[in-house]
Amino acid sequence: MTDNAEIDRQIGREYEAGFITDVESETLAPGLNEDTVRFISKKKGEPEWLLEWRLKAFNAWKEMTPPNWAQVQHLDIDFQDVSYYSEPKSMEDRPQSLDEVDPELLATYEKLGIPVHEQAALAGVAVDVVFDSVSLGTTFRETLAESGVIFMPISEAVHEHPELVQKYMGTVVPQKDNYYAALNSAVFSDGSFVYIPKGVRCPMELSTYFRINEEKTGQFERTLIIADEASHVSYLEGCTAPMRDENQLHAAVVELVAHDDAEIKYSTVQNWYPGDSEGKGGIYNFVTKRAVAHTNAKVSWTQVETGSAITWKYPSCILKGDNSVGEFYSVALTNNFQEADTGTKMIHLGKNTKSTIITKGISAGKSQNSYRGLVRMGPGAKGARNYTQCDSLLIGDKCGAHTFPYIESKNPSAIVEHEATTSKVSDEQLFLCQQRGIDTEKAVSMIVNGFCKEVFKELPMEFAVEAGKLLEVSLEGSVG
Amino acid sequence: MLTIKDLKANVEDKNILKGLNLDIKPGEIHAIMGPNGAGKSTLGNVLSGREGYEVTGGTAELEGTDLLDLDPEERARLGLFLAFQYPVEIPGVSNLEFLKASVDSVRAAQGKDPLDSVSFLKLARAKCKLVNLDQSFLKRGVNEGFSGGEKKRNEIMQMMLLEPKICILDETDSGLDIDALQVVAEGVNSLRDPNRSFIIVTHYQRLLDYIVPDYVHVLADGKIVKSGGKELALELEEKGYGWLEDAAENGAA
Amino acid sequence: MTDFHNGLLAVNDEANSPLSAVTALNSSGADSFLAQEIPTRKTEAWKYTSLFNLTSNEEGYGRLAETHGAAGLDGLATIPALDAQRLVFVNGQYSKELSSNTEHKNVVRFSQADDAQKSIIADNLGSAIEQEKHVFGALNNAITTDGVLVHVGKNEQLKTNIQITHITTPQAKAFTVPARLLIVLETGAQATVVEHFASTDDEQNCFVNAITEAKVGANARLNHYRLQLIQEGSIQIGGVHIDLDRDANYDSFQLGLGAKIVRNDINVNHNVGGSHCELVGVYLPQNKQLIDFHSNIEHKVANCTTSEVFRGIMADKSKAVFNGRIHIHPDAQKTLAELSNKNLLLSNDATINTKPELEIYADDVRCAHGATIAQLDEQARFYLQSRGISAAEADVMLSFGFINELLENLELDAIRNLIRPILAQRFGRDEELMKHIG
Repeated sequence: MTDNAEIDRQIGREYEAGFITDVESETLAPGLNEDTVRFISKKKGEPEWLLEWRLKAFNAWKEMTPPNWAQVQHLDIDFQDVSYYSEPKSMEDRPQSLDEVDPELLATYEKLGIPVHEQAALAGVAVDVVFDSVSLGTTFRETLAESGVIFMPISEAVHEHPELVQKYMGTVVPQKDNYYAALNSAVFSDGSFVYIPKGVRCPMELSTYFRINEEKTGQFERTLIIADEASHVSYLEGCTAPMRDENQLHAAVVELVAHDDAEIKYSTVQNWYPGDSEGKGGIYNFVTKRAVAHTNAKVSWTQVETGSAITWKYPSCILKGDNSVGEFYSVALTNNFQEADTGTKMIHLGKNTKSTIITKGISAGKSQNSYRGLVRMGPGAKGARNYTQCDSLLIGDKCGAHTFPYIESKNPSAIVEHEATTSKVSDEQLFLCQQRGIDTEKAVSMIVNGFCKEVFKELPMEFAVEAGKLLEVSLEGSVG
Repeated sequence: MLTIKDLKANVEDKNILKGLNLDIKPGEIHAIMGPNGAGKSTLGNVLSGREGYEVTGGTAELEGTDLLDLDPEERARLGLFLAFQYPVEIPGVSNLEFLKASVDSVRAAQGKDPLDSVSFLKLARAKCKLVNLDQSFLKRGVNEGFSGGEKKRNEIMQMMLLEPKICILDETDSGLDIDALQVVAEGVNSLRDPNRSFIIVTHYQRLLDYIVPDYVHVLADGKIVKSGGKELALELEEKGYGWLEDAAENGAA
Repeated sequence: MTDFHNGLLAVNDEANSPLSAVTALNSSGADSFLAQEIPTRKTEAWKYTSLFNLTSNEEGYGRLAETHGAAGLDGLATIPALDAQRLVFVNGQYSKELSSNTEHKNVVRFSQADDAQKSIIADNLGSAIEQEKHVFGALNNAITTDGVLVHVGKNEQLKTNIQITHITTPQAKAFTVPARLLIVLETGAQATVVEHFASTDDEQNCFVNAITEAKVGANARLNHYRLQLIQEGSIQIGGVHIDLDRDANYDSFQLGLGAKIVRNDINVNHNVGGSHCELVGVYLPQNKQLIDFHSNIEHKVANCTTSEVFRGIMADKSKAVFNGRIHIHPDAQKTLAELSNKNLLLSNDATINTKPELEIYADDVRCAHGATIAQLDEQARFYLQSRGISAAEADVMLSFGFINELLENLELDAIRNLIRPILAQRFGRDEELMKHIG
């Protein structure tokens, strides 16, 4: 995989995932009240406890106010003007496998390069494809089941593994955690559910592909990954949406539980429609992602954020068990009028817990790109360590790059190191490249690539090779 | 003075010293030579009690006192001095303050009163002169911004101030020019005393032209593989260490 | 508007400044203060610092001190070996006895200003502070009655250092000291100003609301020391607000020892271009003290530089807050800005909250910040131990060195010599020896 080519595509290219799939959908009229919540729950045929759970979240949400501390500016969202449920009509009969799904829908993913057919040459990757509010299905379910791995839409897991869902859902991100998490808890539609049994190393990469298609529709997916003791899983998600003039809302919740000695590697390639070069349209991406790491467990978040008009996202680790490890590697690229406020929280509770934060923010056009992070060393975090490096790269003089690191320590044996730098693609650098015969665009892409190398190498490369197309499509084209 | 028996030590779970024996009598100078990675620096660090050096067997006694269970400062107070190969810089802590704290604590261990500041300053200045260090070094942070040679001379000055019983010079000559080397050697020679012993750890024979050892030992693969008089150093300089390592391997096999 | 607001404004009830500039400031300050809510922990800039001890005090701080005698305070009023024109205030009131005998043309109390000085005050007072952003700045604007003007004319190099000392003593009832200093340096002027806040050793019950404004003219240079040495029990909330003209140079050293609440806002505005700001700060809270430094450097224009270093050691159950914001405005190209904040926690009950912030809207800049919370260096500790120094003493020496490193570059020896014994006392070093080090 050549990183250069990807970056090349990112800078100054049109959004290539912006087409609309022409399928007949059943979409709930815009509006949000208790009935909306009941409708969604009924549509999914959910048990009573889950409806109650949703309603509790909804009632909490009504009392809450949207957060305003992020370094982003957007129009107030009219939550009554959003549709909270949309599914392609053909999905009503619940196809038993992806082979039965409407070919028009599958074509959407083929066009995006997502391997939805098991016979495709992507033997190592299992995929869940989520279209608006429903999962179209997952591949390789049987193969995975052989090793005890459960990988299915969460709407199905509610029925098939209610004990697991009920035990874990909301334990990492409580319903009232924040405004958008509460909203998600009330109206979440679909998402992925993963369970890796004790001692099992998941035999293939798991991935979920999210697509918002319908107009005026919000997507509220919910993902829950449980890695039982000494298990291992690597998971990747990708996201795209059509080009539409109005802003669309995406408010997801992701919960990860890494039991003792388990390891979860979670990679995101976020390429939601960022809006046009005038700042019109684009996805509002308000996401709550959090992991709990028990004794000796390791959670690693890697994200490449190139899309969305607004990104508000802080994948976090609660390092609860002794010796647990949290990592956060991030590349966030903003262009035109995009605004990203993203970072992480590392909450060190256990002894000898370790965290590493490496972030690369690239601002271009008139965009604003902020790193916001919290490193907290609790009183019990004896011998804990954090290392944070936040670098910003500015391209042009109309954009902004910001760093807001909160560092709190209550333990004298904990060590925290934070560094941040800012640089630009300098005229001298460009001139040198030009003088050596490299054009500006290529030169910029080389420099940006070099800048991001540390993070790119954290992406699961074997995945990238085998599922090259998926990654490529997710990365490419975003900023016009 | 110092008796080391079958000393074994690990660094990061790796066997470095594998049964080292050494008996040093009062007034003697022992040179320890050997190839890189033989465990030369480990010896000094183990004897002075550096963290991360795990003793897995054997004994080391200074005048009958077992050193290996003591804290580093207790060993220092008993009269063990390590001149570091790479003295650390401590910004903000002045050399003078550091030296006084050190001398006071060693004196206290000997049942002596601390020196008053004026006498101490006088003493420190005199020692500075002996090693050719400008007095301004006393006011600067410990080793802060010192050149390599200045750091080594600072080590020798500390040795002079503390008047230890056993001095371990860990590659003090590495990287020094001839002038600095002579200053170091003069310092050591001026401290020669029937009641003081030295272990000179070095990679090069050059230093031994200036500090004439009573014994030369070759340390290879964590053990003393050959001992002799000062002429052994010349032999090593000529032949290198290769033949000894071969010999050691053959001996082991 | 709350009882708390009105309570504090009562400090100024009977005062009447002869200067119209001051009365005008009082009235706009009162309006601004009343319009602002008292910060809570939900206010971002006060996230880690609770004002509970200020707001919950039953008798309130809404009064001036009753007594302000000079007896027995001589030792506190002087800084040994500092050659300075000295103005001393006791509990907020000017003390003739403790101040320098002679008058000095460059320094004057507002109330004693001549016409030329009055006009300088009128032109500058309140102009460097954005009172709507600083509620305690607004309060000071509202309640200040007299203050001190330091004015240095064009190309004049002030040979004498200026020392402004505020001493507090415990009073029957809690009280407020509204302290105000205005420094105006004209083009090419140069001055060294030492602000010095001291107290008797008793438990204090003062609320010192001290605001310093400086207008540093083109190519002018201000060396500014601000030493907060007030003892336990006091509350000190204020700050410095600096406007830098073209090629101006602001060099400052801040020391805070911590008390019931100590909060300092440091605001520096690079307004024209070519200016340089050098901030060095040290905080050393102990017991249950709290200290909070909030610095905010506004790079509004191109070609300015900032270098900022703050270090703190938190002992016992104390808590420190450091927030260092560097804001590079869209046109501030070629800015160089660096910030370093290092912290040591000495106990299991101590807390540090630090947040170095960069907000950058220009691309051709070089900005970096770093913050660490660390333990003492293991290698250095071993080196000291190998020389016979105990581990405990080595820790003390290294802690001392951690702060002392920042003192080594101070221009005024007298300040270094004032602070070293305090550090020595805190870290148990030999004071006698210190004399030989300086």
